[in-house]
Amino acid sequence: MTTARSNSDTKRSRARTKLRRRVAGLLALGFALLSAGLLFSAFAPQAQTAAAQQDSALVRKGEEIYRQTCSTCHGGGGEGVKDRGPSLVGVGDAAVYFQTSTGRMPMARQEAQAERKPTKLSDEEIAALMAYVDSLGNGQGPKKPAESGEALRGDNPARGGELFRLNCSNCHSATGRGGALSSGKFAPTLDGVKEEQIYTAMLTGPQNMPKFGDRQLTPDEKKDIIAYVKSVTDGNNNPGGNPIGGFGPVSEGFIAFIVGIAALVGVTLWIGAKA
Amino acid sequence: MSGEQPTNLPSEQELAEMSRDELVKLGTKLDGVELVHYEEKWPVAGTKAERRAQRAVATWFAISALSGLAFLGVFLFWPWQYEPSHSDRHLLFLAYNPLIGLFMGLSIFAIGVGAVLYTKKFLPDEVAVQQRGDGPSAEVDRATIVAELADAGERSGLGRRKLITRMAGLGAGVFGLGVAAVPLGALIKNPWSDSDSKNSLWHTGWKSENGEKVYLRRHTGNFHEIVKVRPEDIEPGGFETVFPFRESERGDEHALVAALKRSDAPVMLIRLRPNQAVVKRQGQEDFNFGDLYAYSKVCTHLGCPTSLFEQQTGLLLCPCHQSQFDVFHYAKPRFGPATRPLPQLPITVDEEGYLIARSDFIEAVGPAFWERKS
Repeated sequence: MTTARSNSDTKRSRARTKLRRRVAGLLALGFALLSAGLLFSAFAPQAQTAAAQQDSALVRKGEEIYRQTCSTCHGGGGEGVKDRGPSLVGVGDAAVYFQTSTGRMPMARQEAQAERKPTKLSDEEIAALMAYVDSLGNGQGPKKPAESGEALRGDNPARGGELFRLNCSNCHSATGRGGALSSGKFAPTLDGVKEEQIYTAMLTGPQNMPKFGDRQLTPDEKKDIIAYVKSVTDGNNNPGGNPIGGFGPVSEGFIAFIVGIAALVGVTLWIGAKA
Repeated sequence: MSGEQPTNLPSEQELAEMSRDELVKLGTKLDGVELVHYEEKWPVAGTKAERRAQRAVATWFAISALSGLAFLGVFLFWPWQYEPSHSDRHLLFLAYNPLIGLFMGLSIFAIGVGAVLYTKKFLPDEVAVQQRGDGPSAEVDRATIVAELADAGERSGLGRRKLITRMAGLGAGVFGLGVAAVPLGALIKNPWSDSDSKNSLWHTGWKSENGEKVYLRRHTGNFHEIVKVRPEDIEPGGFETVFPFRESERGDEHALVAALKRSDAPVMLIRLRPNQAVVKRQGQEDFNFGDLYAYSKVCTHLGCPTSLFEQQTGLLLCPCHQSQFDVFHYAKPRFGPATRPLPQLPITVDEEGYLIARSDFIEAVGPAFWERKS
């Protein structure tokens, strides 16, 4: 009795499992197709078109600004004009950021070197211009770092100081005071320069400054250099109250000599008057 | 000594009876000194004014003692270690040097003021006149002095004891020779005896010895961290100062430091922008590697580091006397007192892709010297 029942039971259960397997298979296939479709529609095409649309709007705005403020010297499509302005193809957005945020570009006139001055363009205009010039080189040029401000200061200003003296102090002097170059050009002082600007300057080598790529000075080394620069500029390296130009022993010796001689003459006169 | 001694000297008994004041008077008289004016500062002792003056002087000495203590305290216990400018202990760190100077200076100054104040307030006012002697000493004095000196020399016996005088002469002479050897040695040593060595004036630290490869090494600020330079490390329009490195020196602290510190070692590795028109020096057409050019950093005028590089104009400036070298024209001098181009180091790349020196410079680097004919 038990065997007969179990026989019919197994027959029935076999048929049921077959059915169940088919239904489960169909369901799984349908679910897989559905979710794949959902995933596809959710992620890939929509997000991309949105970003591209936003980008191209920014690039178009940048192009407009470019035509108004830059094209006289850099040419209609960033190809450069001989004896006026270099080509901007492939210079990257880091170069645009440095030149415009420090007010060097747009230039007032052709002269020995573009000097720092109040910024002509707003932050949004600079961002648009960065997007446009970056698109000229298909995004190949050096990029402005994502961090800004204090986040760009490394935690080892001592190493930064060593690297600064090895690579930068030749022209900018050991405490970032700057110095003279040839024919009216000069290395500017580093007082009041933002961290991003120091970083992008190293990365792009504006004007006559040599370029320090990431394989020569790693981003960490650049940040340490910035930490050092920030520790000696903006009056941070000023224990005596007056830096007297920050030229070290030259001006200090000069002042010490004048003050010392004046004091000696004063004391001599005083002693002479007493005698 | 002088011939103007008063004849009426007191006898021994009179001397014993004289008071101190009288003795002083006698002494000044014997020296030919006449007291014209003498006045006590405080004729009446113990006045208020005198006590005030006393307190003032004592206060200055007390100030000196206190600031001396403060100097010692600051020197021993102040937190002198460097604190970056954003730290809240930065001001403490900044105050260390000024405080040390302030307290030390104040301590010395207060002693001085105390001493000057004391003489001003307490030493009596006096004006003394002393007659000055005219002409040379008397003939007697001069003759006797010479005789006394000659006699002293004779009695010392040095003239007779030859052994002692000779040995003393030998000791002093040899000592003098030792002292003289230092400055004279530089004149005797021949700097040209080993002109093939990398230590001679003709060669630099880039000279390969025993055929060993000499790599171009980056200085990262830490001499143990050895970074060999690859051509792609330098961006177009970039430059870097490089130093010689040999694999046999790895781990050898002394040799590594010496290679970085040698005055003839620094070389500027410059990467020009592509398509830059360049004039190469005759016979050195293959010294560069692509856009990479390596020039000695030592100015050919007086040896300063010519490392102010203008990447657009291609000028290397020397900060000492404003010489300018044109990198686009085999580092020929364009301006300033330098007369010879910077020597160029022949470079290439080894099988691992590292930049190496093909040989030493083909001429002596740095300023001219007597034996250098070009």
